[in-house]
Amino acid sequence: MTVIDLIRPGPARAAGAATPPRQRRGRTAMVRIGGGLVVLVPIVALSTFITFGLGALSNSDPAATILGQDAATPAAVAHLNRVLGVDHPLVVQYWHWLTQAAQGNLGRSWFTQIPVAQSISQRLPVDLSIAILAVILAIVIGGTAGAVAAIRRGGWFDRGVTMACSVLSTLPAFVIGIILVVLFAVTVHLLPANGYVGPTTSILQWLKYIILPSLALSLQVSADIARQLRTSLVEVLDRNYIVGAKVRGLPYRRIMIRHALRNAAGPALTILGNDFPQMLAGAVAAEAVFSLPGLGQLLLESAETRDMPVVQGVLLVISTFVIVVNLLVNTTLNWLYRTSDGLGA
Amino acid sequence: MSSSNGRRPGTRGPGARPQSIWRLPSVWIAIAVLTAVAFLAVFGSALAPQNPLAINANALYQGPSAHHLFGTDYLGRDVLSRMMAGTRLSVLTALEAVGIGLVLGALPGIATAFLGRWFDFIANRVADALMTLPYIFFAVAVTAALGNTLTHAMIPVGILLAPLFFRVTRAATLEHARSQYVEAAELLGASKVHVIRVHVLRKVLPNIAVTTASMAAAALLAVSFLTFLGIGVQPPAPTWGGILSSDLDYLSQAPWAPFIPGAIIAITVGALNALADAFRDRSSAGALVLVDPVTQHVRRTDPRNLEPVDGDRQSQSVA
Repeated sequence: MTVIDLIRPGPARAAGAATPPRQRRGRTAMVRIGGGLVVLVPIVALSTFITFGLGALSNSDPAATILGQDAATPAAVAHLNRVLGVDHPLVVQYWHWLTQAAQGNLGRSWFTQIPVAQSISQRLPVDLSIAILAVILAIVIGGTAGAVAAIRRGGWFDRGVTMACSVLSTLPAFVIGIILVVLFAVTVHLLPANGYVGPTTSILQWLKYIILPSLALSLQVSADIARQLRTSLVEVLDRNYIVGAKVRGLPYRRIMIRHALRNAAGPALTILGNDFPQMLAGAVAAEAVFSLPGLGQLLLESAETRDMPVVQGVLLVISTFVIVVNLLVNTTLNWLYRTSDGLGA
Repeated sequence: MSSSNGRRPGTRGPGARPQSIWRLPSVWIAIAVLTAVAFLAVFGSALAPQNPLAINANALYQGPSAHHLFGTDYLGRDVLSRMMAGTRLSVLTALEAVGIGLVLGALPGIATAFLGRWFDFIANRVADALMTLPYIFFAVAVTAALGNTLTHAMIPVGILLAPLFFRVTRAATLEHARSQYVEAAELLGASKVHVIRVHVLRKVLPNIAVTTASMAAAALLAVSFLTFLGIGVQPPAPTWGGILSSDLDYLSQAPWAPFIPGAIIAITVGALNALADAFRDRSSAGALVLVDPVTQHVRRTDPRNLEPVDGDRQSQSVA
């Protein structure tokens, strides 16, 4: 199940039916993506409105908060309210906020007056670092484990992978992080338990600091990928075209990569897309366990002081990320299903 | 997907009659664990052997012993008592979130099959929009807006569980709402309410039960995570996540300490998931109803061949 259903049957398929095949593929893809973007409009509108609405729901008074106890004379509050636009109707405020946000202006913190976009762009690289490394680790670990388990079906490795997957899926992300800290940082002193160094300072140091958080973040996703890949690969390996390829004497490696893995990869890729929101929660856990200065920490700090512009900004950026990642995954899936007779098509 | 090719050795074919779930040892273990947790939720703070807040400077970071079964924490407080006293808040707030999700998700999920296209379209877009908000960020943001209590934090978690309930219920309802016996009942003049109550609800209930169990697991994880982050609870009050969080600061003194709350959270979550899996695999209506991600067609899949994608996957994506 995907969060945003980009690919819709029906009109797109019918529209392309009359044109020649090669052209049709390009056009249907365009129509599909275009249609998908139209579907996105109400989703983006609703999701951003919820984010914006939180500010209106909060019972704190922005002008009084910004001015502080002493300077909050009625005249000053009224003036600041006009500057902030709080005296306009909610829908007008929302539109103003959204158009400003689209231009990269997320407002300023009520307390520090630092632009929200600036604080977010300072924190974002931390999460991106661990998230990207985690995705790579998850594909490598989960892909290898799932593929080997499927090939050696019923063997001890297969049973071990199945066991490990069920254990990992019950462990909360923060518990996995703590276990890794205890194993690699407290017991063995191999890697630092917390802290962060930017990649511009030293690539090696950066890797050293992000490898444990990334591993913590990736293990559950690896388990999900391994489970899904094993299931679909087992199914693909029993299909006639694999038998046919073997009969034709194709090299084993080629059969596995070109025929089996390509067709079995779709569901595992869907899992990766579905797990993205879970990975964001995992990133917050990793930040908390390894004390990384990421977006989650920014959100927690600003939530404590009820600094609504920062809170809204972080939520907006995160939900945009989810939408974009889902779009990418759906487009890739679409391409996979177009170009192969993959499972589920 | 084809139903018989990839079957693991030892699983039964699609034609075999489903065994009663009561024959599975995992179900009994899960029920025992959950009964114990429920018991602790009600009587935990009364039964705690020691005062969960009592500080003892002479017994810091003690390992498990006869006097302190789970050891003591950085203030010398008895961890067993703190875990017992913290059960109620974790369980109650998890149930709060599941209840909100069930009502907001399952009811529209059933209704949407009978209320026409526009309602279905709007409900689906709302579900899509909610699913773009990761629960942990949303929950923290809501506590920023409404005030930092666990009850406030679990309202958004419940709201974000609703689309998952909605999807599962909608898919299951649609399947039955288009069946011939519903058509026959409608031809005989049965009202929509009658059709829903008699023909649909009973068929959909197993799906809702499975989803509720896995959502309860997700909600419990959410509570533990939020309290781990320090949301909603003031420090001296014990919570499962809070105990874990304070253990993290003293790893060099007591590296084993986080494993106790961690294991208890994992066992409880695992029990709920095991119960959900057992229901899904063995009940006659447990065959997973899936909405095909590509074609949007509702299809039924034999759960023994396909890894659970719908209910279970989504529960994990929430966690």
